[in-house]
Amino acid sequence: MQKLSISTLAALVAASMTLPVTASAADMNYKVTDKPLELTIHLHTKKYVYNDDWPVEKRAQELTNVSLKNVASMATNKSEEAFNLLIASGDLPDIVGGSSLKENVNQYGPQGAFLPLNDLIEEHAPNLKAFFDANKDILNAISAADGNLYFIPYVPDGKFARAYFIRQDWLKAVGKETPQNIDELHDVLVAFRDGDPNGNGKKDEIPLFARQWEELIRLVTLWDGRVSGSDTYHDFYVQDGEIRHGYSEEGYKVGISNLAKWYAEGLIDPEVFTRGSRAREYLLSNDLGGMTHDWFASTSSYNDSVSEKIPEFSFKAFIPPEGISGKRVEANRRTKVKPEGWAISYTNEHPVETIKYFDFWFTEEGRNLSNFGIEGVHYDLVDGKATFKPEILNAGTPINTQMWQVGAQVQRGFYQDYEYERQWSNKHALEGIALYEAGDYLLEPYMGVAFVEDEKKVYDKYWPSIKTYMLEMQQAWILGTSDVNEDWDKYQSQLERLGYSKVMKVMESAYERQYGS
Amino acid sequence: MSGVALKSIVKSYGETTVVHGIDLEVKSQEFVVLVGPSGCGKSTTLRMVAGLEEISAGEVTIGDRLINNVAPKDRDVAMVFQNYALYPHLNVADNIAFGLRIRKTPEIETKRLVAEVAKILGLEEYLDRQPKDLSGGQRQRVAMGRAIVRHPKVFLFDEPLSNLDAKLRTQMRAEIKRLHKRLGVTSIYVTHDQVEAMTLADRIVIMRDGYIEQVGTPMEVFNHPINTFVASFMGSPAMNQVNATLVKTEHGYCAQIGDRLVSLPQSQQLEDRVGKEIVVGVRPEYVSIVPLEGTQGVPIEVDLLETLGSEALLHTHVGDAVFVIKAETIDGLEHLHALKEIYFNPSRMTVFDAETGIALNHPTMN
Amino acid sequence: MQSYNEKLAWLGRHLKREWQIYVLLAPTLIWFIVFLYKPMYGLQIAFKDYSVFKGIVGSPWVGFEHFTTLFGNDHFIRAIKNTVIISSLSLVFGFPVPILLALMFNEILNPKFKKTTQTIVYLPHFISTVIIAGIVITAFSPSSGVVNLLLQSLGFDPVYFLVKPEWFRPIFIGSGIWQESGFSSIVFLAAMAGVNPALYESAVVDGASRWQMMWKITIPCILPTIIIMLIIRIGNLLEVGFELIILLYQPATYDTADVISTYIYRQGLQAGQYDLAAAAGLFNAVVAFILVMSANTISKRLSNTSLW
Repeated sequence: MQKLSISTLAALVAASMTLPVTASAADMNYKVTDKPLELTIHLHTKKYVYNDDWPVEKRAQELTNVSLKNVASMATNKSEEAFNLLIASGDLPDIVGGSSLKENVNQYGPQGAFLPLNDLIEEHAPNLKAFFDANKDILNAISAADGNLYFIPYVPDGKFARAYFIRQDWLKAVGKETPQNIDELHDVLVAFRDGDPNGNGKKDEIPLFARQWEELIRLVTLWDGRVSGSDTYHDFYVQDGEIRHGYSEEGYKVGISNLAKWYAEGLIDPEVFTRGSRAREYLLSNDLGGMTHDWFASTSSYNDSVSEKIPEFSFKAFIPPEGISGKRVEANRRTKVKPEGWAISYTNEHPVETIKYFDFWFTEEGRNLSNFGIEGVHYDLVDGKATFKPEILNAGTPINTQMWQVGAQVQRGFYQDYEYERQWSNKHALEGIALYEAGDYLLEPYMGVAFVEDEKKVYDKYWPSIKTYMLEMQQAWILGTSDVNEDWDKYQSQLERLGYSKVMKVMESAYERQYGS
Repeated sequence: MSGVALKSIVKSYGETTVVHGIDLEVKSQEFVVLVGPSGCGKSTTLRMVAGLEEISAGEVTIGDRLINNVAPKDRDVAMVFQNYALYPHLNVADNIAFGLRIRKTPEIETKRLVAEVAKILGLEEYLDRQPKDLSGGQRQRVAMGRAIVRHPKVFLFDEPLSNLDAKLRTQMRAEIKRLHKRLGVTSIYVTHDQVEAMTLADRIVIMRDGYIEQVGTPMEVFNHPINTFVASFMGSPAMNQVNATLVKTEHGYCAQIGDRLVSLPQSQQLEDRVGKEIVVGVRPEYVSIVPLEGTQGVPIEVDLLETLGSEALLHTHVGDAVFVIKAETIDGLEHLHALKEIYFNPSRMTVFDAETGIALNHPTMN
Repeated sequence: MQSYNEKLAWLGRHLKREWQIYVLLAPTLIWFIVFLYKPMYGLQIAFKDYSVFKGIVGSPWVGFEHFTTLFGNDHFIRAIKNTVIISSLSLVFGFPVPILLALMFNEILNPKFKKTTQTIVYLPHFISTVIIAGIVITAFSPSSGVVNLLLQSLGFDPVYFLVKPEWFRPIFIGSGIWQESGFSSIVFLAAMAGVNPALYESAVVDGASRWQMMWKITIPCILPTIIIMLIIRIGNLLEVGFELIILLYQPATYDTADVISTYIYRQGLQAGQYDLAAAAGLFNAVVAFILVMSANTISKRLSNTSLW
């Protein structure tokens, strides 16, 4: 016992001596330079600019010896404007970041405003290299038309975004089950319309509503139509390695003609185009809305907030009903990469140090720091996994707000960890996500292309008009001012006249260049 | 034609009363001038007759008709305003015809009347002009044309000449006088200019602080002002007013000015004022620089001499008071400079009570 | 040479004597140069393939390419047509309203009532466009809007006004009139206050009724103001209230609602085509200039009233 204790003691002593040593050795690993280095940064978003005093920034400074000094101003909250002012002045800080970065750096990078990062990553950034090697599609998606990478992106995590939601309590009231196909869905909506599920004796129910009317259009997937494949509305989509646009295809026509019929039958919110962002709040809290397609987390939260007013209220995600070809499809997913992040400008005199600093955020230490804040303050490592401290989870302020305040989860180039969101998600949302996880409903994402100058010219010249025309007709068809089946040929030839195939040609060549093997 | 009668006319704005019960009778075809310093209530009185101001109390009649509650347009009066009140967007002919057209006079008749009035006023050549292209005198004539053309029972003039220069004013004055003679319309004319009042009026009404001080023909108010206010307001230069003591000598009532005695007009009314303070009023025009029979000279010193052409004003002083004499210059100026004595004609002097300022030898009181 | 020196000397003396006047003039002059003349330099991007990074000078010339693009586009032509229709209609219906309001205010004798009504009609001017749009959308909502409730109580079917192209113009023009007429009436009220009161008194004695005085005195007397305001309005004919349209229109109503400025916004600014937007803006300015010149000349000929 005694012998044992001595040896244990010795081991403890040794351990206690080595622990701080390993820790400091770990610190040493992240050091970018021996001497402290200060770099300037313009990082502008709608809500905040980079803050030198964020605890996360301070911690990164301790670890890397690199500190960032903000030069962006909150004088305007328009990031685009702030960026244009910056670039027009020509006097760029060492690092430029913020909203809508991708388009800007991919336009001005090839003109010389930003440094290409491919070689720098290859030589100096093992973690970034590993990340891009593992996520070739992301690298392709954000590269400029000249094939170079000009920024390190903010990479979100998690797959699911929006889902179908339905009032389970209304289903019970009208004696129906969760709809599993188009016909059942139609029956349920008719029952919602006629069966007075809110029991107020008035026929005031709105069976199907949407905060963004584009979410209504998404229902064309039930009839094998396609909508945007990215997280931008009305965008292109990809199928089997081919780029296409849904609004010129047969499935879309069939879908729209059915949605128009539903609209005429009063199954769809008659004010869907103008009710706007408060539609969900208004229709749910007044016990008027039956079904929608919206975000998991925020939509699930109504189960808590409305249940005080309507005790039996139950608004649950349900899996996509089978379409006409028997497939269940969820056309909306989280984007794999955001057009945000940070880039190195041509005036930067320390590109190697900067890329090493960027690399730090893709190490495990850096990723935890950028996702969860400071270890010991905001999170602890439990079984090697970052876990928010209970006092953070129960602080009353949403976690994302708390994180923004300390400089985590901000739009630097970092790799988000879905764990961060999962740990504070509402249980209804997690249930819903589990439903979707169980099936394979998501479609291949479209992650955007970068144009060469001539392609961009063609795109800019024709696409806005085509899109305008598409949307005009779309609404006219839904509203019943015009009939999609009668118009279809005329619609196709008008698209052609507006330059549809020219745009598709440049889209194809750009897509081929970007993703073709 | 009809006269205008004002009976105890009062005008108040809330607590403030600006016209305190005026009585005035304007005879048919008479030209009456209301004169007084600004704020005396003369314009207000005129505007009450016109119907532009409500009458707070009292009665106004035109002819036999009580018009207190008659709308302005039905009073059959026409008014000429100080700043002409011409419509800037209408030419002269249309300005003159404005009132006729409002009353829906047939167009042929309107044309005839406008032409007639233009002829009377010598405006024929200007009928197509815009008001802004006319001179001040021409504008004033158009303004009068607008009043004349309607052949009203009564003309009301509100300081019509005060925006004109002196020469034009004299000319227009004569024209108005001529016009009145020719048309013979009852007229009430407001002015603050006593010369205008004297030259135009059949009778002058002098007002102060909302009261009538005196009503009379121009000569009456000039020669026999009822009080010191009227005396100083009418006539230019104003009547000289000298403080004195009333004494009675064997020659009758005299004013003792310093150690000099000056004979006064003999009047019974002076009797009970003997030994009291009086004010002696003498018009500059009525002072003689040559000895008058039966009067003693008063010694003076000429301080200043203003020549007006045929006449000159001699500024002297009696005691501390300035004393002005008007004298002819036909014999040159030297003897005026050298003037040492002046002479008063007792019959041309007015005696006022020093305390009340009321005339003691006014003819109406005899 | 002699005379040149003399002139210079005269200028020197003049400046020395009158410098205060020039100092007073300076702020306005500087404002004009900095905010109106200097930006004109940037107009050249309408003829360039503009890159923000290369700068105005560094971007290559492309001649009239952007104009060709614009006029080759059906939607731009439609936007011009809509702009002209919307602004002509708002001129025809919107311009007389403030004058009528001013005339009405002028006739109100009770000062308390006058002030209250004036405040009520001025109020919408101070509400931000976003709120105005919200009010309009709510008011015309088919389920809960007052307009439709009224229609229903009169026995009509509710109308989804905001997605009907034929209703966009009346709603837009109507809400514009509602928002701005009251405030615009101020200038006419000021003009009326400047009318010599003797004109009215003279007319009263002449026997004119209030109605006749309004027609024969008030309106002719404020006519120069009306004409000046009209010229200014015509100069701004192509500037349609862009924010309100953005907030009120829908793809369904583009057909009647899409105007030059919203077109520029969608095509140019949202897509980052500043050069194209500048070309459209330049076109707008040239048309506005021609309009205001013609309006001024016509007015000078017809009524002797003009801006310059």
